[in-house]
Amino acid sequence: MSLTIDPGIWVAALFTLAIFSFLYKDNPVYKFAEHLLVGVSAGYYLVQYFFSAVYKKLYVPVFINGEYWLIVGGILGIMMFARLSRRSEWVSRYPVAFYVAAWAGYVIPSYIQVRILQQVKSTMFNPFAMSIQEALSATVLLVGVITTLLYFYFSAEHKGGLKHVSRIGITFLMIGFGATFGYNVMGRVSLLIGRFQFLMTDWLGIIQ
Amino acid sequence: MKRQGPIILAFVVGMLMMIQFFTPNPFFLSLYNTVLDWKQVVLGCTFILGTWSLIRYHLTRIQRKQDNWRYSYVTLAGLGFMVLSAGIWKTTTGPYPWLFSNVQVPMQSTMFSLLAFYVASASYRAFRARTVHATLLLVAGALVMLGRVPIGAYFSGTVFGVEISLVEISDWMLNVPNLAAKRGIMIGVGLGTTATALKIILGIEQTYLGRTD
Amino acid sequence: MTFFERMMSIDRRIIFLFVALAVAIPLLRPLGFPVQVSEEVRSFHKEMAALEEGDIIMLTFDYEGDVMAELDPMAIAVLKDVFPRGVKVVALTTYAGGTGIAENHLREAAEVYGKTYGVDYVFLGYNPDWSGTILRLGESFKKTYPTDQYGKNTNDIPIMQEVETYDDIELICSIAGSALSEYWAIWAGGRYGVKVISGNTAIQAVLIYPYYQAGQIPGFLGGLKGAAEYEKLIDEPGMGIRGMDAQSIAHALMLVFILVGNIGYFFSRRAKREELRKG
Repeated sequence: MSLTIDPGIWVAALFTLAIFSFLYKDNPVYKFAEHLLVGVSAGYYLVQYFFSAVYKKLYVPVFINGEYWLIVGGILGIMMFARLSRRSEWVSRYPVAFYVAAWAGYVIPSYIQVRILQQVKSTMFNPFAMSIQEALSATVLLVGVITTLLYFYFSAEHKGGLKHVSRIGITFLMIGFGATFGYNVMGRVSLLIGRFQFLMTDWLGIIQ
Repeated sequence: MKRQGPIILAFVVGMLMMIQFFTPNPFFLSLYNTVLDWKQVVLGCTFILGTWSLIRYHLTRIQRKQDNWRYSYVTLAGLGFMVLSAGIWKTTTGPYPWLFSNVQVPMQSTMFSLLAFYVASASYRAFRARTVHATLLLVAGALVMLGRVPIGAYFSGTVFGVEISLVEISDWMLNVPNLAAKRGIMIGVGLGTTATALKIILGIEQTYLGRTD
Repeated sequence: MTFFERMMSIDRRIIFLFVALAVAIPLLRPLGFPVQVSEEVRSFHKEMAALEEGDIIMLTFDYEGDVMAELDPMAIAVLKDVFPRGVKVVALTTYAGGTGIAENHLREAAEVYGKTYGVDYVFLGYNPDWSGTILRLGESFKKTYPTDQYGKNTNDIPIMQEVETYDDIELICSIAGSALSEYWAIWAGGRYGVKVISGNTAIQAVLIYPYYQAGQIPGFLGGLKGAAEYEKLIDEPGMGIRGMDAQSIAHALMLVFILVGNIGYFFSRRAKREELRKG
């Protein structure tokens, strides 16, 4: 394998190095790359937003499939642009209220079902239907969930029994945050490996 | 009209979307589908509005010659060129997909990979075992860092006559105490989100409507 | 300045250099650490292995370029797993920036396995509004996506004649760089009962365990390691397995940093205390 002659890979590699140059210190090459990234990304997104919202979800259903009531969605969308003027800003409250309330409406039953009831149900266990080892783990899980929830219970002062219980809750939280930190390191390193693989394989051709 | 109207709209739409969850009535189902279709268009338009705000920000920066204002030309040129490319050569051929694959994606991923270096620096300078809880956090992090990669398989031994490996400890930690903490947080967040959603529908929570007038 | 104080004020660029070497050297000279498969990845693979010829799955590219190093290997491995077995794919993305990434992977895999667009797979593209899209798909795929990513009416695409709602697909495989796989589990799984499995960034994976234990997400891949494990199970070594040596060495280096940093901190603190005591 050898150095590539593909201009696309050369451009990608040079911009990769331009971003890495920030590690030494902030510099004009990095600033140029950073601003170009914002511009190119915004341009890319704008085209996708326009195609998906205006063409795919409005033009095709209304003017080709004849679903005329969907034009109301378009009117609500246009009302959002009233935010551009301070005098007409209030008009945009209608689509905002519509959007937020629609989300609020379906989030209530869904969250109660999936994030609360099913999670509580999965924490319960029958110690007679499992091995001692499993029962011990299930007990630790149950204690952990209850004490973590009690740690976030602020309607009563954390003293006496509640203080001790919430301290157990903190212990579980710290293990949880530690796991998050460990996975965070793992994720960031993986991203770096990805860039190095690109530079060393696709660009320099020094590894297969 | 300016404030009460949106609050009434929120109540009607919110109640409708909540009720439809519990009824198979075709009328409610049809309204539910229509609201979902409108909602997608509204958000798409909001994103377009967001892009306009970005353009306006950079135009203002150039106009007022603020710090690094010359770079705003780069942003605006990049944005304009992408839109023009899509218009002239379409989105499947020409500069639009080329710039996406060779400029946007490599830079985006490199930008995020920089964090690996800063996490290392922060680990060296700030990750201290000052208290019992901080030590616990550190140990849990270390267990994941070693136990979730191939090198972790080399750490095993016998404790009180029981063969045990770092990978097993790491798995247990993730599947039991870590899960307990995450589930506790999840249930708490679920309750909080539900309460906030209810307040929005009932008009108690109005901050999303912006300034009062 | 004592030795430990000097150690604590080391230039950050020296640390950066160590990180770069810890990643680059194992890539150049692989060490061949064995990849062990975890239970959650085995469960993910079990769900995929149960698919039969003619089954249709939904593959969602819920990520952008920022986390593609972690998630691309998963998406590629899934396509390598299902395409040769004749499983059909309805792909989409909930991220505007996911369109280009999905297009590239689908096109490359289709070329390798001789798949026809519109018959063996389709790319519906991007739709604004995650939750709205997920819920609307439960009622009608064609109304949610009146056209595919290329502007073709979904009523005229052959594979879409077989798919009307979630009832017509075997499972959803969400490759997600954010909480999207949770949302698929909440709205598609919770409300419509469709099976959801996921591939997640490492940062997100730690939050999936409650869903996994509750059976709401019956299998998942966590980070590049998860991708490597899945590659091993389907016997298709790729970017995941190739990156594991570097991942191991970089993690070991991070732990050395934490250890040395703490030693330096405690000794320099002790030295300061002694100085104060002496006056």
